[in-house]
Amino acid sequence: MQTINPASTGSPETDQALAEVFRNNAAGFSRNRTVNLSFLVQFGSEALLVRVQDGKVTAIDNLRDLRPLQSYDFMIKAPAEDWIRFWEPVPKAGSHDIFALTRYGQMQIQGNLHPLMSNLQFIKDLLATARGSVQ
Amino acid sequence: MTSQFEPIIGRYITFDIAGKSCRVYFEEAGSGIPLVCLHTAGSDNRQYRHMLCDPEITSRYRVLAFDMPWHGKSYPPEGWQNEEYRLTTELYVETIMAFCRALELDKPVVIGCSIGGRIVLQLANLHSDRFRALIGVEGADYQQPWYDTAWLHRGDVHGGEVCAALVSGLVAPQSPAVHRHETLWQYMQSGPGIFKGDLYFYRVDSDLRGKLGGIRTDICPLYLLTGEYDFSCSPQDTVRTAESIPGAKVTVMKELGHFPMSENPQQFRKYILPVLEEIAINT
Repeated sequence: MQTINPASTGSPETDQALAEVFRNNAAGFSRNRTVNLSFLVQFGSEALLVRVQDGKVTAIDNLRDLRPLQSYDFMIKAPAEDWIRFWEPVPKAGSHDIFALTRYGQMQIQGNLHPLMSNLQFIKDLLATARGSVQ
Repeated sequence: MTSQFEPIIGRYITFDIAGKSCRVYFEEAGSGIPLVCLHTAGSDNRQYRHMLCDPEITSRYRVLAFDMPWHGKSYPPEGWQNEEYRLTTELYVETIMAFCRALELDKPVVIGCSIGGRIVLQLANLHSDRFRALIGVEGADYQQPWYDTAWLHRGDVHGGEVCAALVSGLVAPQSPAVHRHETLWQYMQSGPGIFKGDLYFYRVDSDLRGKLGGIRTDICPLYLLTGEYDFSCSPQDTVRTAESIPGAKVTVMKELGHFPMSENPQQFRKYILPVLEEIAINT
């Protein structure tokens, strides 16, 4: 379990640590369904490009390590404190779902929402893989 | 493993609702004070299976849970294929009153969840004298939309899956997995466009803010119970509503979301049993 100091939220190091936690948990995530999409998930200043093919996460790359002008379908971004609350083993009310965080936190969901809504539970489950991994 | 029957009996009854003949499926168990249960938008009466099997409830209450027309095992009225389903406040009230008339229920208690929690406010407003008590679960006079309902019914998105995935976030994280996924399965099985049609009532047709002056809690007690994890009908929405209704009793329920009776029946018992006890003793 990764320990994150709540006082450190807003720092690049915390954002990088959260991105790493997500990468470690989400790598190889799969469901038996035909999901094909890519999306950007952003932890404060740190952005990861996630690619999914045939229901399996095939790549999670740091955006800054890729060539410029990458394409993706949609973006989900939030500051570190939202992700930390979302990933608590038993999240508190208002932090337990991505749509709750768009309402009560600072999470934003942008872009072409059709791939997201067509595969919503897949994406929700993928984003929640890090639940219980930070404290 | 031995076989075990549940006490639930399912039957069909045909009666008119707003001038249309409707074949309605309902389940019942127990005897005593009639307790009519209203399911949430886009779901069906299976949400109440735990209350129907709870001896502490059925020993004093005749629990009845019906599938609204277009839902569960109740077909839409004849000719449905030529219309878009849209639930209105008037049709919803008429549906409930028609069911109570058809079953010849004498001053029943009505419990409704979500859209059912909203409509009990209107039942209280219009017909306080017709009910023994009213219980709104996850109910408020209004709540802010949190997504575009156009996603719920379109050719290029699986309606059942997107409905279930959207509402999955309204289930509290403490809810046992078996009950969480049963609750979501009900949404996956809903007819095309039905959840969206129910939400027409919820989002467009039933803003009851400032319109509930007819509620008489002195002749018909009103209980409002909302789960802390419900961000669709939030505790703040329910408390605000209760504060505008003299005599309304409000409870915010811990570790519960938008589907208390279905998502975590054991947790919900802690809150609903005292309410039913109070109603049985005082009314």
